[in-house]
Amino acid sequence: MNLLRRTVRIPMNTFCLHRTFAASALHLAPVQLPSRAESHLWYLVPDEVKSVSLLGQYSEILSPCENEYVACIRGEQLKKTALLARVLVRTTIARYQTDGYIDPRSLKFRKNIHGKPELEWDNDDSGSRPPVQFNISHTASLIACGVTNSSPIGVDIEKKDRKIQNNIISFARRYFTPNEVERLSSISDLNVQRQHFLKLWTLKEAYVKALGKGISALPFSTFTIKSRNFEKKELNGSGDSDPEITVESVDGQRSLLSNWQFTLLELAGTHFAAVCVARDGSMGDKCFTPKKLTVMKTIPFVGDESMSGTDAAIVCGF
Amino acid sequence: MATFTVGAPICTKPTTCSLKQAQGPSRLSSLRLISLPINSKNFPSLRSSKMPSRLQVFCAAKAETVSKVCEIVKKQLALPDDSEVTGESKFAALGADSLDTVEIVMGLEEEFGISVEEESAQSILTVQDAADLIEKLIEKK
Repeated sequence: MNLLRRTVRIPMNTFCLHRTFAASALHLAPVQLPSRAESHLWYLVPDEVKSVSLLGQYSEILSPCENEYVACIRGEQLKKTALLARVLVRTTIARYQTDGYIDPRSLKFRKNIHGKPELEWDNDDSGSRPPVQFNISHTASLIACGVTNSSPIGVDIEKKDRKIQNNIISFARRYFTPNEVERLSSISDLNVQRQHFLKLWTLKEAYVKALGKGISALPFSTFTIKSRNFEKKELNGSGDSDPEITVESVDGQRSLLSNWQFTLLELAGTHFAAVCVARDGSMGDKCFTPKKLTVMKTIPFVGDESMSGTDAAIVCGF
Repeated sequence: MATFTVGAPICTKPTTCSLKQAQGPSRLSSLRLISLPINSKNFPSLRSSKMPSRLQVFCAAKAETVSKVCEIVKKQLALPDDSEVTGESKFAALGADSLDTVEIVMGLEEEFGISVEEESAQSILTVQDAADLIEKLIEKK
């Protein structure tokens, strides 16, 4: 089944050319809402968006409040990332229209009590209100937005070569669980250890973000992320596998923890990306069918490219 | 004379901070910024989602503390020495993500010999917030 009604395959280096985009030419290709058994992960590489006029058009999609926030940020690269992150969220969600065109400018957002952004609909929007759940994460060089149909989702990304300022084991002793410290300590190669730390961090962040809580409400020392095997395999179409990554509560309460599915990827060759999605309530433990994750690279209003099954989206071992 | 943030309701509970140091212009350097919890139901008409959740009585935290925090922040975020980081700088606007913030907090714990619970991390949005929290925790020791 074709995910996108229109998949535009444009070599990505052409986006670096300066092009003028008239407002009327800006068009968002609609996207079909994922089924309850699927999730989507969209990502954008800021360095590939160079057109000044396109960036100007992007600013027009943001709310006055968002534009004000972006204006307060110092540094061109940070400003650009902040702009693009908000554009990615607005345009991506608007594409999942179930009942007519949604203007990305019309979307409203609020934050929950712990600061997680959520969609806010007016009472009269009931007709065109797709049941989209989303979560965003970004670094200076990549922006990712995960989307599901109704299921809570958390996404976190970190650059693979990111250096840790503090001593990793000291950090882990302070913030992680004893089980996780033991696993980290058992890795003798410091670079492998650093990468494992980053993977663990993104998985833990994705989990607390999926829960809508954040680290303050759910300290990382209260739950352990574990893995069952260490093989690296490519994300393929079928996506069937035993749950490799699981979460366990430190205090022994396990009742709700099998409800969460984790996917860990090497994204775009440069980042680790963790996606945590709530499994459908109707699925019991015994018939676990992992949700399929489809990865797409995009530049809003310009084009998309499916990355599932390529080197840009590799399921990695943990 | 205390300056109040516009629109912030005033808490009727006794404050935990001491204002003794605030008297006299010669003691300006040891003034402390105090955050007071607010019982916003006293002034329901002033509630809005954009309102700051703390009343800030304007006595500045030690400049030395703020300056040390700035130093640790610049190091964590690999900002050049001459980049502008002040008490008002927001971590998020400086480009700090959640891992940066936790690393910064850990750096502050080591620098000042304090322990910051994760629950407090949510309230640290600016350099000033971090400096205030540090001084509060040092005082408790």
